[in-house]
Amino acid sequence: MSHLLALDPLFQSGHVGFSVFLVVAVKVLVAFALLLVSVMLYIWGMRKWIADMQNRIGPNTAGPWGILQTLADGIKLFFKEQSIPDSADRVVFRLAPYLSIMPAFLLFCIIPIGGQVSIFGHQTFLQVADLPIGALWILAMSGLGVYGVMLAGWASGSKYPLLGSVRATGQLLSYEAAFSLGILGVLVRAGTLSTHDIVSQQRWVNWHSFVSQWYWLPAFVPFVIFLIAATAETNHPPFDLVEAEQELVGGFNTEYTGIRFAIFFLAEFMNVITMSAVATTLFLGGPSGPGLGFLSAGNALNTWLMPVFWFGLKVIALLFVTVWVRASMPRMRYDRLMALGWKYLIEIAILWVLVAAAIEVANVQNWNVWATVLIAFGSAALAYGVLYLAIPKPDEVVEEFR
Amino acid sequence: MADYLPILVMAALVVAFASLSFIASGFLGPKRPNAAKQAPYECGIVPEEEPAERFPVKFYLVAMSFIVLDVEIVFLYPFATVFRGLGLYGLIIMAVFVLVLLVPFAYLLSVGALDWGPARRGVERVAGPILRTKHAVIDPNAPHPGGRDNPDDEEEVAA
Repeated sequence: MSHLLALDPLFQSGHVGFSVFLVVAVKVLVAFALLLVSVMLYIWGMRKWIADMQNRIGPNTAGPWGILQTLADGIKLFFKEQSIPDSADRVVFRLAPYLSIMPAFLLFCIIPIGGQVSIFGHQTFLQVADLPIGALWILAMSGLGVYGVMLAGWASGSKYPLLGSVRATGQLLSYEAAFSLGILGVLVRAGTLSTHDIVSQQRWVNWHSFVSQWYWLPAFVPFVIFLIAATAETNHPPFDLVEAEQELVGGFNTEYTGIRFAIFFLAEFMNVITMSAVATTLFLGGPSGPGLGFLSAGNALNTWLMPVFWFGLKVIALLFVTVWVRASMPRMRYDRLMALGWKYLIEIAILWVLVAAAIEVANVQNWNVWATVLIAFGSAALAYGVLYLAIPKPDEVVEEFR
Repeated sequence: MADYLPILVMAALVVAFASLSFIASGFLGPKRPNAAKQAPYECGIVPEEEPAERFPVKFYLVAMSFIVLDVEIVFLYPFATVFRGLGLYGLIIMAVFVLVLLVPFAYLLSVGALDWGPARRGVERVAGPILRTKHAVIDPNAPHPGGRDNPDDEEEVAA
């Protein structure tokens, strides 16, 4: 169930020779390039989709259908001045972009984008690294991303970035809790922290697997909580208070220019892709999906292409939902944002974990499942009711202290 | 630990990518600093004050509540992998553990520590007869300052 030693067959021999290192290097390079290209395409796609939803044309000049627009923007930013304000803390100011971009890349390392394949005669998983603590790694990296935002705003020595970064830190911390509890909802079902094991438990058997194997249905409440929290973690609308232009100029990155700004921009949109990939891995079965029935199961198309195809399709579907939400919803007010996180999502998620654990134990111990469900949901509802009573209602406050 | 080798390689690659971007841009981009450009951005006016060094205490409260909650969550992760073997015992232990967290959480909620409404509401909810702030002494039992109170308020205070 839980392994502490190597999981990836690549490292099973325990000896890391040159050819193994070559496989690692190839996988890292491919993942790196894949992320950069998909960020480029996502930013373009997002602009095009939003343009369509708002009855505009969107980028249409650079390359066919404007597909190279992001690349053009990036190249332009290379030729811009990198300005550092006099009031800035120069070391931390230079450090902050690294702290933003590193977690974005490192988080993607544990995402399985395919099954087990053979590269240069070595059996390996189609993911950069399969850590035994995969789920904790997600938590750690999304937590580290906060440092980039916070230090960037603080080190600028300027008012708007500081306001933006303090606001961002409050928001990110609040939703970090709901985010990690959402992941926990899956872990209670899966019983493992390794992302590869989580995905292989959601393997495709037949068309019923969509509801019977994938975790989105048994962990529906954590799924919804995870999606909301992930949107807030990535500062995407309707949770983009971090960069509320009307109030904060540009938020924490106001003082950043040129390529340093581009790195923050890259990290932000990369996080959206990574979060969609994490949601796909945890709730939507990752690369699992029907293979090509007319070919044998061991055919290269079925082991290589189809899992990657299904993974990509699911990620793109989630990205489209993100853009759809972005185009439809107005920005939230800060007090409502904090209230949603602290007063609803966290409590519901933490109680759900206990309820789900009780149901799992009932299955293992052969208790009466319906009685367990009734008792577990009853106690959870009672606990939430007490907590809800503790929350001061706006009317009540007005009555007391008008 | 060989599992972490790809992570290390990826980290090195990302640092190299970011550093090379900064260095390349340093060569390619212009360097024409001037006083106005180097000043902190303030929507076009000359900045008069330093940025505030003190922030509303609520942000600190959120950070502290988060640490407590996050430590709890980190303990729940190993629980999620082993609780099947623990049976009813594990469930009860974890329910007690969560309950111990939820009681102070309910207290935090009830005193409005996680309320982000208008500031006046937060101040007035603090218990006790007198609250000192930097500018004034606020007595929650006294009629509301600012001349906006009406006869209804007087009756409530009297009652």
